[in-house]
Amino acid sequence: MLLPELVRFHLTGEPPTDTEPAPPGLRPAVLASLQDLSTLRYDFPLLLTENGDSLTLSLSELFDDILREVAPPGPSGERIRRHLLGLELRIRRAVSGGEVGLLSQMWEAAAKGLLAETNADEAALVQASLAKAEAARLVDGRAVDCDDRLASDFLEHIWTAVGKRQRLVVRQEIAELTLRLSNILQADYSRSQAGLAPERLAGSVGVSHRREFDFEAWSRMVTGTPSGAVGPDRRRRLESILSILENQRFIPGGKATPYSFRFDRATAAATAFRQRVPEMLELIKAMTIARLEIENRYREPKHDEFFAAFDETSPTAQDLAAFPSYLVTMQAEDVVGTEQAQLVDILSSSLPIKVLVESDDILGESPIGDVRWSPGVGGGRLGNLAIGLGEAFTMQSASSNLPRMEETVVAGLSHQGPALFSVFGGSKKHVRDLPRYLTAASAMRSRAFPAFTYDPGAGDDWAARFRVDGNPAADDDWPVEALTYEDDNLQRITEEVRFTFVDFAACDSRYADHFVPVPRSSWNDQMEPAWRFLNGEAPPGKVPYILMATADNLLQRLVVDRELIEAARRCRRQWNSLQELGGIHNSHARRLLEQARARWEEETARELKEVTAGSAAAAVIVEERPVEELETPPAVEEAAVVELPEEAPPADEPYIETARCTTCDECTTLNSRMFAYDENKQAIIADLGAGSYRQMVEAAEACQVAIIHPGKPWNPSEPGLEELVERAAAFN
Amino acid sequence: MALTATDCVLLSDDERSTIEDYEGGVPRWCTGCGDNAILTSLQRLCRDEQLPQEKVVFVSGIGCSGRFPHYMNTYGFHGLHGRALPVAEGIKIRRPDLHVFVNTGDGDCCSIGTAHWIHALRYNMDMTVVMHDNRTYGLTKHQASPTSPLGLKSNTTPYGADLNPLDPLSVTLGVTNASFVAQAVDWIPELLHQIVSLAFHHKGFSFIRVLQRCPEYLPAFFDPWVQDPARVLLLSHQDGIQPAPSLSRTYRNQEEHDPLDLLRAKDIAAGADAIPVGILYRNPEIPRYEELRKPDRLYTPDAIAKGFEAELDRFTIWPEQEEKEHAAT
Repeated sequence: MLLPELVRFHLTGEPPTDTEPAPPGLRPAVLASLQDLSTLRYDFPLLLTENGDSLTLSLSELFDDILREVAPPGPSGERIRRHLLGLELRIRRAVSGGEVGLLSQMWEAAAKGLLAETNADEAALVQASLAKAEAARLVDGRAVDCDDRLASDFLEHIWTAVGKRQRLVVRQEIAELTLRLSNILQADYSRSQAGLAPERLAGSVGVSHRREFDFEAWSRMVTGTPSGAVGPDRRRRLESILSILENQRFIPGGKATPYSFRFDRATAAATAFRQRVPEMLELIKAMTIARLEIENRYREPKHDEFFAAFDETSPTAQDLAAFPSYLVTMQAEDVVGTEQAQLVDILSSSLPIKVLVESDDILGESPIGDVRWSPGVGGGRLGNLAIGLGEAFTMQSASSNLPRMEETVVAGLSHQGPALFSVFGGSKKHVRDLPRYLTAASAMRSRAFPAFTYDPGAGDDWAARFRVDGNPAADDDWPVEALTYEDDNLQRITEEVRFTFVDFAACDSRYADHFVPVPRSSWNDQMEPAWRFLNGEAPPGKVPYILMATADNLLQRLVVDRELIEAARRCRRQWNSLQELGGIHNSHARRLLEQARARWEEETARELKEVTAGSAAAAVIVEERPVEELETPPAVEEAAVVELPEEAPPADEPYIETARCTTCDECTTLNSRMFAYDENKQAIIADLGAGSYRQMVEAAEACQVAIIHPGKPWNPSEPGLEELVERAAAFN
Repeated sequence: MALTATDCVLLSDDERSTIEDYEGGVPRWCTGCGDNAILTSLQRLCRDEQLPQEKVVFVSGIGCSGRFPHYMNTYGFHGLHGRALPVAEGIKIRRPDLHVFVNTGDGDCCSIGTAHWIHALRYNMDMTVVMHDNRTYGLTKHQASPTSPLGLKSNTTPYGADLNPLDPLSVTLGVTNASFVAQAVDWIPELLHQIVSLAFHHKGFSFIRVLQRCPEYLPAFFDPWVQDPARVLLLSHQDGIQPAPSLSRTYRNQEEHDPLDLLRAKDIAAGADAIPVGILYRNPEIPRYEELRKPDRLYTPDAIAKGFEAELDRFTIWPEQEEKEHAAT
């Protein structure tokens, strides 16, 4: 295979005449060592826990926790560790083999298998290790693998748990409101004539002492209103809201069968929501009235009118947050036509509908053509669309990354508006030689399906709302990988490579035409790694290639055509846009930084110039200034109190420092017409004419906190003024 | 703030209670008594917060302070000597929706009620406790109380009190789970009101010691502090009291004190010279007993009857046959 033929293939896509078909079982070279995942301790199997602190936990984390507790350092601990890691391996293999069920069941089966394969000498020790581990295992739950059910199982598990917490609070409130409303009616009945009838009074006394009482006389003595104190309107209202509370179908615990909130179509969820709106409003109204009734704050003249006009605009976001969210699980291929339009409507609204869209295939043909026209648009477009709508919580992630997304999923499900969870799970149909976990992880690493989160409730700007930090090496175009292999001389070689969109596409059988395998005999220096080629570092005339591994672990170079290189560049541009939104290499910020730096440099240069030019003159001025002026001015003492201008007291008029009055009654006792209290029960001069100057001076003398200032006499004919003025001087 | 439709209805309510709505009987305290300032402050608080009268309960023990519930037009409980706190705790645990206030005195709280005081602090139940400290037994005409100063001559200490007084602030700050400790003086009503308001909004056991003048038996005792503002230390902070500029002109002796600083609070409390006024300590993170013991289910009449029956059944002596049937069921 000659170089010109490879160049021609790269530029035109026409394969060389002597092209051999690609060997079967090809996989990216950097993933060659990860063929059997069941031997690795990693994020899967994942436990959807029923009783742990967190909602999910990997099997490895669980065993690590158990080992920390039961396997101390030393030989005995090592033995326990060996036994338990054997148990973990068995469970992991069972799950990756397709078994489903509770961890406790798999644990039991694996423990039996382990014991069966243990020789008689060690059986007792294994048994002891298993018993310790069983005692230390405090959680249980379904064990799931990274398979086609993962995304829906994971989301439904968290949705159920979040909803359960929320429903518990609302359920308790409804139960409490029901009880307290019933108490009002019960108390009213107890005070009514019927409630105080002889036979009812008899029922309130124990059987043993019943003969000691004359219930007829007792009933005559206690009087009740004919129908209690609750009027007919109020009774009707109370009974009506009690009936609504008891028969509601939104929160389990009522008399009626609760609604389901789980759907497999967006249209069905939206229709159900709309149909239930009147009933939901009735319940919110009933709860609102119930709270007012319990607080005895319902005023018929005012509130009857308000509640008669209670409509969709009346509930607050807090009221609506009490209701369960709707969960829709859909496959990406079903999001077409009416469903697609409905999904966009939901994501543009404030409806509490959470939609999971699972994609198995992000490299498939789009309706507008093949890779030439729409490379990599499959699954990623929904997420991008949703963040453009502004108010929908949006999460995009590969299924392999879900174990790290628990908090994000909880945030999305707790968000008061709609949410979209777009998850790529990997396709077994077109990517046959990789486990789903690796296909999904490869989609994220190659930026074909990057992870991001858009949370409209997290803040007011993009910095707070948008995150891409869950991606590997989020600062780079593509993450760096270390590839280690043996060369022809059996020497260990480690080289740095990057896993790009081209490597990801190479795993998909539909993209085989974009590659040509090159026999080792034709490898030459004009071939350049595709990632370097994409970075624009390759000299002209070279052809890009990627490294794959054959089924028997031999390295294979595949030359890539120009079309796919262009698709990879487009994928990178899309990733760069997401990076910018996430605050990484943001072009606006960079531009502002450059402008600020240029300004700063300009100003610094100008100041330097001024200092240099004026230094001689400044030296002269320094000599001319008095020494004391050059010294550092004395530090201002830390003032505990801000100095404020003194308020000028009234010159001759009497006044009271009302704010300092302690309500001690001295002055008001002396003359309650002259002195009175204001709205805060602090003394004021109410009527100067209602008393004498003598009383004013006596009040000043009696005042416990000396806040009465008598001023000058206002009636010159009052006797003894000279002496009074003298006594008043101490208080003016 | 997340509002429900109920909140919106209530906020748009134009019914406003005035201070007179919270006034009960005419106070029978002596003219000039510092208790009046405390009464006014708490009535103002109820008015400012628009507390429904039926949602408020004042609990007291015995002493001049014991008369407090009579002067509030709310629910009240004038209890036994030293036993205000257990009554208040009982009310709070069964009716957490009520605003509970306790008025106690230096004798009621620091002598006969000391054990309840210590444990009420540890329980940290949400209530506002005002200790009226006039440093004497006033109602019984002047006997030495635990906070009476050394050498005070009274009917029980005619040659002068032999013991150093107990310091309620230091004691309170030393008790596990103390979550709010403040001191006020009746002669600075503006700060008394700020402190009462902060205490009311604190979720937990808010303890306020109010130094108050007794014009009858210790008429001049507080004069050195009343007449010399420099001998009052205001503890200002953004999370504590914030004296108005007009007050700061008079009370210039101020310290910026973070209410979370327990060590400094203890130093301030132990200081012998100036009277500290403000929030010495506040920690909203301390758990409350009524929250810890909150039932996880609703006690409906049926549930109570069922539980009661089940409990009594444990002690029922069943006839032999019935017992078998009962065991079978």
